[in-house]
Amino acid sequence: MRVVLAIAAKDLRQRLRDRSAWVIVFLAPVLISGLMAMAFGGGSEFRADIGVVDLDRGAAATGLTRVLRSPELKDTVRLRSYDDEAGARRAVDAGRVHAAIVVPEGFTAALRGGGSSPVTVLDSVDFGLQAQLARAVTESYVAQVNADRLSVATAVAAGAPQEDVPELAGEAALLHLPEEVRPEGLADDPLKVISYFGPSMGMFFVLFTVGFGARGYFVEQQQGTLDRIAAAPVGRGALLLGKSLSTFVYSLAGLATVTVVSWLAFGARWADPVGVAALSAGMAVAVVSLTALVISLARTERQAEGLASIVVFALALLGGNFVFASGTALMRRLTLFTPNGWALRGFTDLGTGVSGWAAVGMPLLGIAAFSAGVAMVTVLLLRLRRTT
Amino acid sequence: MTALAVTRATMTRTLRDRTALFFMVLLPVAIIVVIGVTVSGFDQFRVGLVQAAQAGPVARELVSGLEDAPGLRTQAYATASDASAALRRAELDAVVLVPSGLDEAVRAGRSVTVRVLVEPSGSAGHAAVSSVSAVVADHAARLQAARFAAGETDGGFDETLALTRRVERAASPVAVRAETVDGRSDYLPLGYSYSTPTMLVLFVFINALAGGAAIVQTRRTGVYARALAAPVSARTLVFGETVAYVLLALLQSLLIVGIGALAFGVAWGDPLAAGVLITVWALVGTGSGLLAGALFRTPEQVHAVGPALGTGLGMLGGCMWPLALVPDWLSTAGHAVPHAWAVDAWTTLLSKDGDLPAILRHLVVLTAFATVLLALASFALRRRLTTGRG
Repeated sequence: MRVVLAIAAKDLRQRLRDRSAWVIVFLAPVLISGLMAMAFGGGSEFRADIGVVDLDRGAAATGLTRVLRSPELKDTVRLRSYDDEAGARRAVDAGRVHAAIVVPEGFTAALRGGGSSPVTVLDSVDFGLQAQLARAVTESYVAQVNADRLSVATAVAAGAPQEDVPELAGEAALLHLPEEVRPEGLADDPLKVISYFGPSMGMFFVLFTVGFGARGYFVEQQQGTLDRIAAAPVGRGALLLGKSLSTFVYSLAGLATVTVVSWLAFGARWADPVGVAALSAGMAVAVVSLTALVISLARTERQAEGLASIVVFALALLGGNFVFASGTALMRRLTLFTPNGWALRGFTDLGTGVSGWAAVGMPLLGIAAFSAGVAMVTVLLLRLRRTT
Repeated sequence: MTALAVTRATMTRTLRDRTALFFMVLLPVAIIVVIGVTVSGFDQFRVGLVQAAQAGPVARELVSGLEDAPGLRTQAYATASDASAALRRAELDAVVLVPSGLDEAVRAGRSVTVRVLVEPSGSAGHAAVSSVSAVVADHAARLQAARFAAGETDGGFDETLALTRRVERAASPVAVRAETVDGRSDYLPLGYSYSTPTMLVLFVFINALAGGAAIVQTRRTGVYARALAAPVSARTLVFGETVAYVLLALLQSLLIVGIGALAFGVAWGDPLAAGVLITVWALVGTGSGLLAGALFRTPEQVHAVGPALGTGLGMLGGCMWPLALVPDWLSTAGHAVPHAWAVDAWTTLLSKDGDLPAILRHLVVLTAFATVLLALASFALRRRLTTGRG
């Protein structure tokens, strides 16, 4: 055991003397996740500045404005009034409001069955969601009106006498739509951007450790260090364990740094510190297994470097390290073939208030399965290489 | 002529290196695909749909209404807990739970509540609820009309519902009309037209920066020292390397432009303006790569710092997200790096049909960046070579 620790300590000392190793595993992830926290820390909430032009000046237009000022939309919609359509157009064009609703003259009268001018929603290509919101609120409001008109028309088409239309219209006006939407809030915490990107960037850069470890192995092989260690009474197993331990500790230290800084400096939140530690340890194990795989596949330092880079970027791309949780369903399935994708799933659940086995159980099993698979392939490759 | 021999040697070495080709071609294209897929559909709310088992025709009509709504990007989930987990993980803006027994309730004349789950603190969810409400209201209008007509004429609900659909087609309801006032975007178009130009900016820079490692390696192995003894002047060596790096950056740019146009249908705008922008950006990258080659002591340092620095500057300059989304101070700070000016210029070309005069200001700033970087790099590299401290 002492030999294993001595080899690990030697490797760690060697690595920490290299300033580029500090940059990659400690400095870069902290700086980049900090940049993301600053970019999306406060301003990522959805907001819609909507202009209203009331050319109708009747009760129906006031009702629409009341909906836009309702408590459900109070944190989302900021309303501004304009006297005429031209003013609202200029405001949308200049970006002062994201969209504007123009209620036509005679809108209230049209609701009583008269001819109808359309309600116009003016929008800008840059604010698709805000335009969609303005349209949706207007359409919902107009829907009840149209429902009443449609009820009368259908009744007449079904055989109700035409002369009863005024009476039918009066009855229809008292109706309420038979389906209504009721929003319900989830009880968990919302996922903060930094709670996702802190570990995400930490893992991305920790994966570079694969390259460091594999390159270091070939450098030592060239310099004869490995032969000298082998000549000493040190078993191959102890050598392997020592080197794996140093990679594990180094990776874990990198992940610990970025998670602690994300928590203390940028306000990242995870429900369960033990879960964070378990996921970080699992990821460090995966890094060890990947390093061994690259060593078993490569024959030179240059090959190891290239192969490691390809492994790092392939895993980071598939694992979702570059994009926030919003990827497509296919991408979310692909992430589950990578250890970093599983770990990010765990960090996401921890970031939304889920703790314990419910958050980290499946991710840890996923990472373990990946690491075991990689280890088996490595052993197979080493056996094949020895026999050829 | 000697300078061109240096250029040829550097280019041959790079193009024979399979790892370098991975970073030049494969990686940018893979990232373009991932980001391109991710940033499409930003003008729609992401809504999960959970249908009740054995849903009747009325419930199915509501579901297809939601699926067909242009403002919603829906995804079906088998259970409410699966959909809630996706909502919790920020993969959705809202989850619609289609009530069981909806058909029976509607036929029996009862009102139905459609529950929509949202993150209480996220306002995108409440906005998504409004969009769902519009679809539900449209559906409910038909149900109301069918029930009313059935009640007035003693007809069956299913017959009057079918009649309602026919009447609705012939009726002239109060319409909601959308009109786009400001059709010129301040952002790059979504999808691949967003990811391809931004990744061109990011990767040409990162690749050139990482290319500095080759210069450090050449310095350390004494190749330059032997060339200087030949005798070849330091000025010739620096010029030869500069030309090689410009050509490599241009080659990478043209590959990305070609793949973007052919595989992803990206329209690169005015060809003259795009060509000048690509050339100036190649010079900015070259300056950075040469400077890295002159300043760093080991190739490992360049490999460690290059991608991290390139990624950080790319983020700051709007390659990963539009700077219009970040706070004003950060957007202003972002324009301290050349990436922001290049992304702004591509936005002008791709979103506003800009031409050369339209991006002149951006080109002037980028040329200034390129001039300063190239001057510093030439000075530092020549100094390294002539003082023999390579």
